Amino acid sequence: MTSLEELRRVNARCIHCRACQYAYSGEPDKEGETEEYTGMLQGCPAGIYYGWEGYFNSGKQWMTRAFLNGELPASRELLEIAEACTTCGMCETQCENYIDTVAITEALRAAVIEAGVEPLDKHKGFAVRVGDDGLRNPYNEPRAERTKWFAGKVDNKDAKVAYFVGCTAAYREQQIAEHTASIMDKLGIEYTVLTDEVCCGSPILRTGQRDVFRKVMEENKELYKDFDLVLFSCAGCYKTFRNDYPTMSGEPLPFKVRHAVEYVYDLVAEGKLKIEKPYSKKVTWHDPCHSIRHVGIAIEKEILENSENWLLDSRAGKKAKEKHFEIPRVVLNAIPGLELHEMYRIKGDSFCCGAGGGVKAQFPDFALSTAKERLKEAASTGSEVIMTSCPFCVTNFTHGIEALQKEEQETGADLSAAGSKLEVVELLELLDSLL
Amino acid sequence: MEYNKVTDEVVKKLVAICGEDNVTTSEPLRHSYMARGIMGLEAVLPEAVVRPANAEEVAKVLVVANENLSPVTPAAGGLSGGFALPAIEPGGILMDMTRMDKMEVDVENRVMIVEPGVKSGDAWRIFKTNYPEWAPPIPDGAPPAATVLGDAIERGFSLVTGVYGPQADMIMGLEIVLPNGEMFHTGSWALPGAKPFYRWGVGPNPDGLFLGSQGSMGIITKAAIKMVPHPHFKTVVAYGGETWDDIIVPAWEISKHEMGIGERTVMVQGGNYELVMTRWPKEKVPIDYEFYKKIGVDKKWMNYECWAWTQEELDFTLKGIDQVYKDYETKTQRLTPKQELHPKQVASRLKKPNKIAIPYALWQAGFLFITWYCPWLESPKMMEEYCAAMANHGFPETMWVASIDHARQAIVMPILCFDSTEEGIYDKIREFNLETTKSFLKKGWINYRPDPFVHAPETFTKTKEYYKMLVKFRKVLDPNLILHPGRLAIPWGSVTNLPNPYEE
Repeated sequence: MTSLEELRRVNARCIHCRACQYAYSGEPDKEGETEEYTGMLQGCPAGIYYGWEGYFNSGKQWMTRAFLNGELPASRELLEIAEACTTCGMCETQCENYIDTVAITEALRAAVIEAGVEPLDKHKGFAVRVGDDGLRNPYNEPRAERTKWFAGKVDNKDAKVAYFVGCTAAYREQQIAEHTASIMDKLGIEYTVLTDEVCCGSPILRTGQRDVFRKVMEENKELYKDFDLVLFSCAGCYKTFRNDYPTMSGEPLPFKVRHAVEYVYDLVAEGKLKIEKPYSKKVTWHDPCHSIRHVGIAIEKEILENSENWLLDSRAGKKAKEKHFEIPRVVLNAIPGLELHEMYRIKGDSFCCGAGGGVKAQFPDFALSTAKERLKEAASTGSEVIMTSCPFCVTNFTHGIEALQKEEQETGADLSAAGSKLEVVELLELLDSLL
Repeated sequence: MEYNKVTDEVVKKLVAICGEDNVTTSEPLRHSYMARGIMGLEAVLPEAVVRPANAEEVAKVLVVANENLSPVTPAAGGLSGGFALPAIEPGGILMDMTRMDKMEVDVENRVMIVEPGVKSGDAWRIFKTNYPEWAPPIPDGAPPAATVLGDAIERGFSLVTGVYGPQADMIMGLEIVLPNGEMFHTGSWALPGAKPFYRWGVGPNPDGLFLGSQGSMGIITKAAIKMVPHPHFKTVVAYGGETWDDIIVPAWEISKHEMGIGERTVMVQGGNYELVMTRWPKEKVPIDYEFYKKIGVDKKWMNYECWAWTQEELDFTLKGIDQVYKDYETKTQRLTPKQELHPKQVASRLKKPNKIAIPYALWQAGFLFITWYCPWLESPKMMEEYCAAMANHGFPETMWVASIDHARQAIVMPILCFDSTEEGIYDKIREFNLETTKSFLKKGWINYRPDPFVHAPETFTKTKEYYKMLVKFRKVLDPNLILHPGRLAIPWGSVTNLPNPYEE
């Protein structure tokens, strides 16, 4: 189901109970380390930032219903509210009626645009640039330089494994691409990087511009169809390939996909990889919404989709989802000396970094405020490092810390409790240094 | 009654009171407050939404609304569904009270004071952290975003209703803003500087007029509510049966044992196997009872949530409950097996607040709780009639029942699971509601949260003198009738075309 009309009956399950506004809405007895982080907590970045009901998923579901029923016309105002959401999926985790909240929000955005409303300025730019043959990325960088960072053999047709780099690692966080490539070299994987790679389409799909998305999806599927496995370092690209391509095309992927962290996990879990070098730091882990929560939810829903008896199989679905959430934790715990101090809101209940869903470009203040909220939570664990595995999370946290440090310089205040002293580390970067 | 639209001039005045960030006329945002389901199906789109920060701002907004003759509807958690939404054309002002979320706890006098926006989940978290020996009287089974004040003034359910009665029975005082902007306190709170320690206060207590529907006679901006001790020896036991009598009669024997085992069965609630079945998609769950039998679900069952100060006291209570069932089986020669609950099932049932009431929309795509009160021992008859009516109208026979105040009353609640996208479904539900309402009123049973559009007019058509008295009070307090009709059916014409009893 991809169109809003197809999602009508799913949207109609919303009873406006507002449980989706809270992390741990089903675990009111959950005990945290501090008074601030205990029990159920507000967990919707947009709702927290804007306050009005329409910015929470609960309000969006009812705006969507009104739109579907012809009671609310398509308008720029509606699009602006719908787009001010990181599509983190915290709400989806909470919903006892299994509403595909993110799919509905994204479909609403698309339906409003298809009804004639112009995409928001920054979002429109994504689609224009991704559609431009000389660019094919949202960052306005030359297509010819997409693989400039890569020292290996590009377009190696003999390789069975391809590394889909993604626009952010190719142009903005190149060290992530380099570390990922280096990990693959160290693990002895014969892989290649393709010069014809184009944007996965994630920012375009999230922001409701589906025509351009379908084009890049088909291009990428065609490009990688002869590979056995495609690996990713970007949580957003991975989620888009793994979850969205099959949903939007109605066909399974012709190749396997795995995030690089999952690949390392597989080796660790099978006992084929042992990390010997120590990393003696206090670390807290931030779950990237795309590769952790969204993939976990998809695993659960795939089980239910194939079930004839949800009453019996829902537990298996939840268990499989929970198992997926453990993946980065297994990897982190395999690193000698690393002291993992979990934040309060984790796994399915994790709080977003604030960058996703087109928010970082269009609503930078909202993105920054959300990053700060998360950094404060990270600092509350007493960790030195906030670790994650998503170039977007890395960027937004880095900007959050920079903003806190600037504030410290301007005011003389010590904002270490707000996270100003945290170091942001990409897990792949660390793994590369340890392998 | 003619009302005026909320003009730009009125909006400017609202902005002057609440600030620009707390007033909106945005069409999408106004739609975001809508709800059709859980407790009500009908609503009008508000023209403006305001978010007052305190009682003073509430008072000023009401003055503006009165000057302009604009209807006003207060809401916070909004879980009374359509009842927490505007019902009068042209919609008027929706007062979103979620910013008013302060809570004070007085352990010495065992009272908590809450503003309208204090949510059950937040209250639970704060009590768990700071007052672990006490429990806030939050609704049992309502989702975590349900508000403590909303539940209390709606005379709702609490987690200890089996002993303490409906939540409204626990109110010790109210802070009320009247439609003309005047503010007053009820109970001992009326005396400046006095604590809310005595409900009946300094004279005849009018607080009942303001309970039952937020914002129908005045807007409650604070409520002082009893909090309850929170003993930590807790468990849940359940017994099954074939008929409604099999679960209702033993529960009556147990609950009427006041100052004995009945005092520790704080929550007594039950239902039928359909209550389990309709939590899942209709096409993705067995609908034959045989499946439920195999997994240990009885056709009907009753849960007893027991709280005690010691294990010995808890064991004594459980033994007492078991003995009642053994005696019932001997006397009636019927089977009422004790269910073997997995520790996870027990933990899940003890969890407060919880999301147990939410997933009934999965069966198709929507559901409605309809709630009735009757004397406890009459509830089997009501449930039989309700189930038959549900089957006749093509709804699954999902039924829930619970004890109020030591099984003095029963709350009987059919859960109407339906497909809200089906053409004509709301007419079908209305027809079902009208048919059962007419029948039940004849039997002397009353609706607990009357739907303003069906139950309230049907009930007041039969209770004319009472309705006339309510209208008189309302006209004194709210001469321009700007407040939401709530469950009072005032103004009558806003909720029904039936002849107005006040004019007869």
